[in-house]
Amino acid sequence: MILQAFFLRPVRRRPVRFLLTALGVAIGAASVTATVLACQAAVRSMEEDVKELAGRARLEITRPGDLDELLLGQLRGFARDAVFAPVIDERVFVPALDDLVRLFGLDLLSDDLVRGLELNQDNSFDQEQFLQLLRGEGVLLPAPLAEKLGLRAGASIELSLRSERLSVPVVGVFSPPRRSSAWDRVVIADIAYAQELFGRAGRIDRIELMPRNGVSLAALKAKLRETLPNEIRIEQPDDRAEQTNRMVSALRFNLTALSGISLLVGGVLVATTLYTSVVQRRYWIAMLRSLGASKAQLAFAVLTEAAAIGVIGGLLGSLGGYAGAQAALASVRATMSVLVRDAPYSEIAWQPWLLLLGVGLGAFTSVAASFGPLVEAWKTPPLQELNTERPAYKTAAYHRKPLMIAALLVIVTVLLSLAPPIDDLPYAALGASLAILAALIVLMGPLLDVCAAASHRLRRGPFASAMHLAFAGLAAGRNRASWAAGAIGVSVALAVGMSIMVTSFRQTVIDWTEQGLRSDIWIRSVSSQTGLPSGRLSPQALAIVNGLYLPGQVDAFHMGDAYIDGERIILAAGEFAVVKNRGGVPFRDGRDSKEVFAETLETHGAIINEALARKFGLAEGDSVNLQTRGGFIERRIVGVYYDYSSHEGSLIIDRNDYLELHPDDGPQGIALFLPQDADLKAERERLRKAFSGRWMVEIFLNRELKQEILHIFERTFAITAALQAIASLVAAIAVVTVLFALVNERKQDLSLLRALGAARWQTAKVVLWKAGILGAIGGAGGLAAGAVIGVILVKVVNLQSFRWSLQLIWPVSDLVMLYAGVVLACALAGAIPAWVVAKRNLDSVIRDDG
Amino acid sequence: MPIRLENVTKTYRRGDEVVTALNQATFELNNGEMVAMVGPSGCGKSTCLNLASGVDLPDQGEIFFNGTNLSQATESELVNHRRFGVGVVFQAFHLLPHLTVEENVALPQAIAGRRDAAWVTELVKRVGLSHRAGHYPSELSGGEQQRTAVARALSLRPSLIVADEPTGNLDSHSGQRVLELLNQLRREQGGALLLATHDEKIAAGADRVVRLRDGCIEAIEPQ
Repeated sequence: MILQAFFLRPVRRRPVRFLLTALGVAIGAASVTATVLACQAAVRSMEEDVKELAGRARLEITRPGDLDELLLGQLRGFARDAVFAPVIDERVFVPALDDLVRLFGLDLLSDDLVRGLELNQDNSFDQEQFLQLLRGEGVLLPAPLAEKLGLRAGASIELSLRSERLSVPVVGVFSPPRRSSAWDRVVIADIAYAQELFGRAGRIDRIELMPRNGVSLAALKAKLRETLPNEIRIEQPDDRAEQTNRMVSALRFNLTALSGISLLVGGVLVATTLYTSVVQRRYWIAMLRSLGASKAQLAFAVLTEAAAIGVIGGLLGSLGGYAGAQAALASVRATMSVLVRDAPYSEIAWQPWLLLLGVGLGAFTSVAASFGPLVEAWKTPPLQELNTERPAYKTAAYHRKPLMIAALLVIVTVLLSLAPPIDDLPYAALGASLAILAALIVLMGPLLDVCAAASHRLRRGPFASAMHLAFAGLAAGRNRASWAAGAIGVSVALAVGMSIMVTSFRQTVIDWTEQGLRSDIWIRSVSSQTGLPSGRLSPQALAIVNGLYLPGQVDAFHMGDAYIDGERIILAAGEFAVVKNRGGVPFRDGRDSKEVFAETLETHGAIINEALARKFGLAEGDSVNLQTRGGFIERRIVGVYYDYSSHEGSLIIDRNDYLELHPDDGPQGIALFLPQDADLKAERERLRKAFSGRWMVEIFLNRELKQEILHIFERTFAITAALQAIASLVAAIAVVTVLFALVNERKQDLSLLRALGAARWQTAKVVLWKAGILGAIGGAGGLAAGAVIGVILVKVVNLQSFRWSLQLIWPVSDLVMLYAGVVLACALAGAIPAWVVAKRNLDSVIRDDG
Repeated sequence: MPIRLENVTKTYRRGDEVVTALNQATFELNNGEMVAMVGPSGCGKSTCLNLASGVDLPDQGEIFFNGTNLSQATESELVNHRRFGVGVVFQAFHLLPHLTVEENVALPQAIAGRRDAAWVTELVKRVGLSHRAGHYPSELSGGEQQRTAVARALSLRPSLIVADEPTGNLDSHSGQRVLELLNQLRREQGGALLLATHDEKIAAGADRVVRLRDGCIEAIEPQ
């Protein structure tokens, strides 16, 4: 009966408010579900890429750079212990797909033991085709890829390998062996053919090992360790998956935290709605208490309403999240690709746990948000005491308590933002952001009081009456109003924090590119869907450039890998003899980059990026030991440079130094430094002509390259902007819901104004003022809290997550525009209830009054 | 003559049923006169007051206020009537809870954009609430709240005061005091008073009594 009186009947009478609140929760839950799902899909595809493609292999033998295939001969003694499978693992660009696919070079005679590739499963693959493969006369395509490209055996596939266009015959089509999509974009070739295609004769990327029955993995590993030289690494495929997972864990964490803000705003919306429900039904609660209703019975009614909102919102949210994940996946993949250099293609699959996740998130948020309203219900005295109750706003604690709680939360914010990361993730900083948001919500009530008191002094002027009445109305429903302002504040704080972070990041990147990108022309391989180049350039491409320009004008930039203390880093190289004359990236100690490059060249030293310095605690003047393809080397660190292109550690040495350690696989890109009077557009045309025909390269002028970097930057933050917009939408729903609630709650007051001679537009104006005031107060609080969150994001989260130190830039004009926009948006949101008030018939209201 | 009702009929729908709240009612109220409307619940008293105060319009008949036909008035004319022509006192006081006594009294002036702070202070003083001017309604007794409502009704010096059971929520002593105050103040202003009541004692103090039953005027009795 209590449930019916308190929840079911009111919901039937006002279904729109209930559904709007559930929608707010749904959007919040959808935002989190979509982010979790998209991140999970991207990470899962990276993990599957490693695990599924490794098949039954349990160990991998690798070395920085690559391996000499003669190593296979050294492993003959292990033939009784394991099956060995050499692998060439490269990426090639497929123009028809506008994306990268993997090209696996495998020893097709023995590989089926490891990977279980049953190439002739459907008997469509004859002996002749197999021989064709072994003879290096073409490749095999997975059925999904062949279908997508409309290719079949006998056709040719257009590929770009190291920027060189190539037409490769398709010998056959195979069905991927497992249910995962990992094989859907893997082209298979015989290993010798792959070596030929990539110009890597005698070299392989890794040797995979499948222990034979009864052979212990640990024993095999130990035996191999004893036999093989130190620079050879013996790992499990899972280690590689784990390493990739670690690289993107900070991004996943931050995106999930960001999407959680929408859910937080949704929670504030639920709290607002439930507060309104409780206050509107205060008389009935008092009556129920007089009739002997227990606290447990009241709690049951409030929690049932909260749970119903949460479950319905969660169900809708999980469905919305599934759709949202499809939309977010491309952006997440692009963002992850920046971190791991290439995130594989992935797809979103519907999974039943999504429903559980959505419902769980919705119900938890909703029930947690019902705590405040529940206390409000419990505090309602029995009917007999209701009329003699002292108004809460007259008690000192009413004003003092929130201030004390807010002060405590601010202290917690400061302490948490000073705390170190946990497992390389900024949990404490997230806690600090939540604490400041909680302080914001707590302070909304006192802020509303201060503004209402100030409005008493503004009794003159054209807006004074409506504003004063609006403040009076909001003060009458102060708790609900402050929660609504809190919802706006949280959303604004998120927008402000993100705006400060993005502006700071953007400006830092602009300054960095201005200082660092000094070449006149930049050449790289064609870019894929993720916006990143599709791989290295061929050494022949460098030869073409070298044929056109003087040695002092060409800087070929190489990238490989190396290890420090067992951790993989990027080992890169540039022509220091060239860049020492033009300068480049900014250095942490403020030294002139020309001076640093000259010293590095002269002393045979190295420069490292900030991420590497922070990760290993290295500084200028220190020496570092690296495991490289050419063996163990030691280099002195001449300078630490700022680098916002990757959060992986990078160490750069001179190109000549690099080529003594690595074979020339071709550069990642080529920078040209031309004379000041050079006609750059003409030079580009010259290069285009030289590269016409079989080459697939992109040639940027300096300005275009900077724009391209900013473009990638903007795309990386696209998902952030989307999440921010979602949180704002939930806040807008909160404003409309609360205004409707306040309008209904103060219906008599508004009718009274009409009875006292107020025109329809005057009562509508009061409602619009209320909406504007909620926006102004919530926005002001949001600006303050957002500024703190911005500082935390720039100075703590970025440093802890990606080891990037950014300049702190205050986007003042953006923030002013944002604030004005929020107040205007709230006023517009208020237009709906204002219109309803203006249309309402006065006579019915008077009759309602009895 | 501030107000005259001629053959006024007003019906409402209650579900599928049509209820005639007022049927062919005709009466008038002269300047400075006090008329009490008496009758059982649902007889049409409140409907009559709503029509007189311009919050409702008749289905048939006409209502003249100082020569203006309210039944054909535009929305803005009705607003002006409610704003300047009539002051209302409700049974349940209906003060805005987060405005002080003084602010509640000044509210009609604020709505009309005609500030007269001295008159507000004077009214608050006349209803004996100067010492409570800065208090909120929840801090006042019922009698004090109704005295505030009386002062508010006179805030723009209307020529007609409409009071719906103004003592219904008060004890007899407070009710008597409020009524005396209302009568005294409106007399000083020269305003007429149209009052709905169940209380025959209060009705006995009026210049005329209009007796209603089932929406029809049974009798108009001079006192």
